[in-house]
Amino acid sequence: MQEKGRIKWLFVGPGIFWVLAFTIFPLLYSLVLSFLRKRLGQPASFNFPENFVRAFGDYRFWDTLKVTLLFVVASVVLTVTIGLLLALLFNREIRGRRVFRSLFTMPLFTAPIALGYLGLTIFHEDVGAVNTILRALGMVNLPRWFSDIWLARLAIIIVDVWQWTPFCFLVLLAGLQSLPREVYEATALDTSSGWDVFRYVTLPLLRPVLFTVVMLRLVEAFKILDIPFSMTSGGPGAATQTYSFYIYLTGLRSFNFGYASALAYILLVVMMVISMFFFNRLREIYE
Amino acid sequence: MTTYGARRPGVIRTALLWLVIIGATAWLVFPFYWAIITSLKPPGVILTKPSLIPFLQFKPTFYNWQMEFTQRWREISRALSNSVIISAGATLVSITLGTLAGYGLARFRFTGRMQNKDLTLWFLSQRFLPPMVTVIPFFLVIKAVGLLDTRLALVLVNTTFTIPFSVLIMRDVFKELPEEMEESAWVDGASHFQSFWYIALPLAAPAMAAAAVICFAFSWNEFIFALFLTLKAAQPITVVIAGVEHTQGIQFWFVATRLLFAIIPPTLLALTAQRYIVRGLTFGAVKG
Repeated sequence: MQEKGRIKWLFVGPGIFWVLAFTIFPLLYSLVLSFLRKRLGQPASFNFPENFVRAFGDYRFWDTLKVTLLFVVASVVLTVTIGLLLALLFNREIRGRRVFRSLFTMPLFTAPIALGYLGLTIFHEDVGAVNTILRALGMVNLPRWFSDIWLARLAIIIVDVWQWTPFCFLVLLAGLQSLPREVYEATALDTSSGWDVFRYVTLPLLRPVLFTVVMLRLVEAFKILDIPFSMTSGGPGAATQTYSFYIYLTGLRSFNFGYASALAYILLVVMMVISMFFFNRLREIYE
Repeated sequence: MTTYGARRPGVIRTALLWLVIIGATAWLVFPFYWAIITSLKPPGVILTKPSLIPFLQFKPTFYNWQMEFTQRWREISRALSNSVIISAGATLVSITLGTLAGYGLARFRFTGRMQNKDLTLWFLSQRFLPPMVTVIPFFLVIKAVGLLDTRLALVLVNTTFTIPFSVLIMRDVFKELPEEMEESAWVDGASHFQSFWYIALPLAAPAMAAAAVICFAFSWNEFIFALFLTLKAAQPITVVIAGVEHTQGIQFWFVATRLLFAIIPPTLLALTAQRYIVRGLTFGAVKG
């Protein structure tokens, strides 16, 4: 590690400049917009804190927030739990494990917008895959996925879980495989049951990795937009409209830039609170 | 390879294990299977006869693919080439900036208020930002400078989104390279840029390729910025597939072929970056 010289700034400088120009500047611009009454093609006027006050009295703000929280909780709990179970299962010698691991990376890199449209055809009420299978199994009253509020939400959660479980699986499997082997050999001699080994040995050792997975999932889950956008367009009614979806409608459909920026900033504050916990841990890793 | 706390597994346990593995694989592969068979169904059949098994339930045809490659090819090829140019451009810039910054963070000590860990986190924090927070200012600025509906605008956007991946992956990799090799080069009178270019960079090449794959895939999959910064000429494939909902309902056959156009390149590319995926997607917090 060298300290002296200006040369280090030649290396990190361009990157810092880029982030300043394309992240920090838009963020500041957005903050200014949130203080304004500004619509497309109209002169702006200062009206702080009206946009923020308005949000808290806006029923759509609360509704979309609730839908988002539902998706976040359901998606994080399901993906992490299933991912952990699969990782425990695959953490042994299985022929062709590398092939499985490769297969599991594919959902991660599937465009969410494409996945939403694929979901639209899979859950289609007449000729979709799911209802075709249910019909073949003899079900008569087939679920009307996109007409029922809770079924539509469930469909979105299923698609999201399909996309993100492999992420949890891969990271947790990597975590399991990095655990020290000696500890297990010691406990095996103590003839503990499988559950005890998991509860008192694996889980505590895996905690940092588990924490990382949950944090990264939380952050991504709060961004959810593409899948409801393409799969249900937020419907039926506004049953699957997420918070990001509402910002999109306010800012880029109604062109109410001021209010949309205020909504976006409220989300930003929530995300900053969540990331702070995570950043404390990362700071140790990056030391 | 580990079999922790294992007693000799019984036949039933092995069978159960394989049942779960097969189930998980089927669950994983099914959407891809569905997309492929839907793209092979004759248009007339798709909305009238529900079916799951080609040959048995319907006669597969390449009609939809033929249509994409003939009548609709102009639109598709433009979208695909836009996607390739945007993603490749963003990847190139992102990897260049990220490799330089990653090397800087791994090899030099930053002191004062912004130490190495703070700078690293600062680069990372972009990834924690909900994209909806910056889409409006981006839209207004891009519009003001006359870059709406250009590929350049999306290169800028996607570079910004992928910089955290390239900085963090490259920093991690350079930190693992022994510094002594470069030190001896410095003793021999090489500059930092020379040791970076001739010694560190070639050793970091595999990781760079993997980081590039991740950046490319994320740029390719980006949708919401592309939707608002393009009108027609610069539309990437993700925006074009969003146009498949027509007034007469969803055009299933369009959906299937176009989804596959959008899905195949990044998913296949990602198969080449296996070694770095866990580390890359967790920003070095978990070593894969």
